[in-house]
Amino acid sequence: MIGQLTIGERQFALVMLLALAVIGFAIAVAGRDDLLGGHGALVILVALAGIFAVIHGYYLPAPSEQRFERYYDDPTKVGIIVAMGWAVFGLFVGDWVAWLLVYPELTFDAGWSSFGRIRPVHTTSVIFGFGGNALIATSLYVLQRTSRARLPDQLSPWFVLFGYNLFCLLAVTGYMMGITQSKEYAEPEWYADIWLVIVWVVYFSIYLRTLARRKEPHIYVANWYYMAFILVVAILHIVNNLAVPVSLGHAKSYSSFSGVQDAMTQWWYGHNAVAFFLTAGFLGMMYYYLPKRANRPIFSYRLSIISFWGITFFYMWAGSHHLHYTALPHWVQTLGMTFSVMLLVPSWASAANALLTLNGAWDKVREDATLRFMMVAAVFYGLSTFEGSFMAIRSVNSLSHYTDWTVGHVHAGTLGWVAMITFGAIYASVPWLWKRESMYSARLVEVHFWLAVAGTIVYVFAMWNSGIIQGLMWRTYSESGTLAYSFVDSLVAMRPYYIARAVGGLLFLIGAVVGCYNIWMTIRTAPRTAGEAVSAKPDSVLVGTPALQPGE
Amino acid sequence: MGFDHGTLVWFSKSFGLFYLIGLSLLVVAYAYWPSNKKQFDRVAESIIRDEDKPWR
Amino acid sequence: MFGFHYRLERKAIGLVLAIIGVASIGGIVEIAPLFTIHQTVEQAPDMRVYTPLELAGRNIYIREGCYSCHSQMIRTLRDEVERYGPYSLAVESKYDHPMLWGSKRTGPDLARVGGKYSDEWHVAHLNNPRAVMPESIMPAYAWLSRTALRTDDLGAQLKAIRAVGVPYTDDMIANAPADAYGQAAPDSPDAEGVTKHYGAATNVRAFDGVPGSLTEMDALVAYLQILGRLTDAAHKPVAAVGR
Repeated sequence: MIGQLTIGERQFALVMLLALAVIGFAIAVAGRDDLLGGHGALVILVALAGIFAVIHGYYLPAPSEQRFERYYDDPTKVGIIVAMGWAVFGLFVGDWVAWLLVYPELTFDAGWSSFGRIRPVHTTSVIFGFGGNALIATSLYVLQRTSRARLPDQLSPWFVLFGYNLFCLLAVTGYMMGITQSKEYAEPEWYADIWLVIVWVVYFSIYLRTLARRKEPHIYVANWYYMAFILVVAILHIVNNLAVPVSLGHAKSYSSFSGVQDAMTQWWYGHNAVAFFLTAGFLGMMYYYLPKRANRPIFSYRLSIISFWGITFFYMWAGSHHLHYTALPHWVQTLGMTFSVMLLVPSWASAANALLTLNGAWDKVREDATLRFMMVAAVFYGLSTFEGSFMAIRSVNSLSHYTDWTVGHVHAGTLGWVAMITFGAIYASVPWLWKRESMYSARLVEVHFWLAVAGTIVYVFAMWNSGIIQGLMWRTYSESGTLAYSFVDSLVAMRPYYIARAVGGLLFLIGAVVGCYNIWMTIRTAPRTAGEAVSAKPDSVLVGTPALQPGE
Repeated sequence: MGFDHGTLVWFSKSFGLFYLIGLSLLVVAYAYWPSNKKQFDRVAESIIRDEDKPWR
Repeated sequence: MFGFHYRLERKAIGLVLAIIGVASIGGIVEIAPLFTIHQTVEQAPDMRVYTPLELAGRNIYIREGCYSCHSQMIRTLRDEVERYGPYSLAVESKYDHPMLWGSKRTGPDLARVGGKYSDEWHVAHLNNPRAVMPESIMPAYAWLSRTALRTDDLGAQLKAIRAVGVPYTDDMIANAPADAYGQAAPDSPDAEGVTKHYGAATNVRAFDGVPGSLTEMDALVAYLQILGRLTDAAHKPVAAVGR
């Protein structure tokens, strides 16, 4: 890794890591009486490990000029491995959380392991750890291929990748220590938020600098989606996290918003995190990997453009459907509902575009589990966007809100759409990246596929059932005109579904573990192709060797 | 703030519709502009071709 | 060559600006009017701020992620009003930075749980939920009773939340640690300060049943007991609230 950096980049890396160590030290000192001190120590450790790594490789020969003949894929390789690591960790914690609702004593009488603290560990690990790393890794890959340009330098992609994982690490360890803002999917505290902004600016600059050297004047639509992901997540992140820290030595901060304004800002953020993190970015992935794997151009390029602007435009209005029948003004609720329903148009346009691309290649879908992952992802994308629009209707929402139906809906989207398209993209890129003929075992991809599908279906059906039963029980009246069920009655009715859900999650987790094994064996065992042995030494140092996994 | 709550709400309620129509027209016009077709087709095809090398 | 480059750059930047423009307008149009909403929503002159102990309890509620299973927002639906009490008003969470409306009810809504159960019930329930409610799936929070409450930074906490708009006085900030102690120690001289700063109706009790020691359990129970009781606005007829 260090061998690929130019000497100047190695020096700059050292300077940055030293600065990081100093910042970590300052945080540790300022926060010595607070939980913040622990995070300062963590930052110092990470910086020292980085410094050690750079010094260790400092005197390696400088990379040859031949590197400009190739794309720079090593950050993508490491990103994929790290993403899979986060997937297994996040899914494991998720399943643990699911079992906590069946066996509440699984917390060992400790604070760090109680439901409320490890639920965000699960959500952050899978959304930001798994999803985010997969997006960064694939976006750098797609960006170079579609622009036919190499990344602008060797250092900034590593800064983005490791910096981002430092953010995830601060987030996840923080929750277990008791550091959280409580804003769902924006739980990390102010200092981690600031750090993410820095990382994000560099990420965006990589995009712009690479695009500036592209061959084709037109920017391929996948990059539009990736750019919308980067840009809008930045806007959302900055606005929703505006807060005043108690002091520079405190991890705790108080949000600038309160009450109804905060609720609207939070769900404007929350819903658009779904839109631009979990949808736009992964649509970018789909618009590259699906046509590529099917070996057919996208069915309608025009439609992809129209749905792009539709999604960018509509989603921003839809957040208030999270607040139906609350103290939020009625007209804002109506606005959110209307736009949520209209959102179905661009969403289904994307799903249909994906499926119609496969028209004529169904034999490939049948034989190739990788392509089938992407196909099922498109189907789930269509299903969950339909469900989402439906649930945003006020009267439906009165039943579904606060229940497990919402949880089921989210997982139809995340397991069925986000994770499936990602696994598809990863299975497609691993052989390309490591120059292999194919994955180590096509059969294991098949096993993973069926475990993932079965797990998702079990999970989603369990939550549909429990959610609807819950919602109905809460609003059922007896003949005498009183509420028929106590809250505890509804809780008891949930137990079988909670068990089923945890089993479904377990299937999905096992699938991811199988995937990891398959990827590992692909990297390790297959012989290197002849073309690579000829290539310049410093660049191929990392090829075939598993990189260290930050954040794990 | 010089804005009255009523004014802001009125603006929000009416503006969204015009904005929606205007933007939709723009986007559809761009997507279906005849001279753009060739470019779109070329780009859609281009990612299929395997060029595992930067162009310069 | 330079001209060619420049044109490409312009295209990318144009796309960036278009994305930012299209994406931000929806949010601005929807959210901006909410910041003038005080012109129209209900007034609650009787509303008080959280005491330092209650605020500390609220921070524990946040730290433990209670909001992931308990909402604090009663919707305007008949069954919710009958189950949990009068529907929540915007004004009731105006001092909540951030709000804790929640999005999921694995457990019941807590917007009006204050005063519904005794302190002893809460302590027993938090120590072991299944001792009180055999079917409960809530985690036990027994360590709260064993953990002393941190009070040295309460002044700084109040100062920070005043910076975002909650009207704490200098007096309140200066006496924050003493008030926190006094609220859970009714017989101590500090107890008087609490009623002086926050009103005679403030709960001043040994919330965890052990006077003299200030634990995280005291703070959390104090917070739970004030939920829905900072103002009476929601209990008044709608016309009187001035909607």
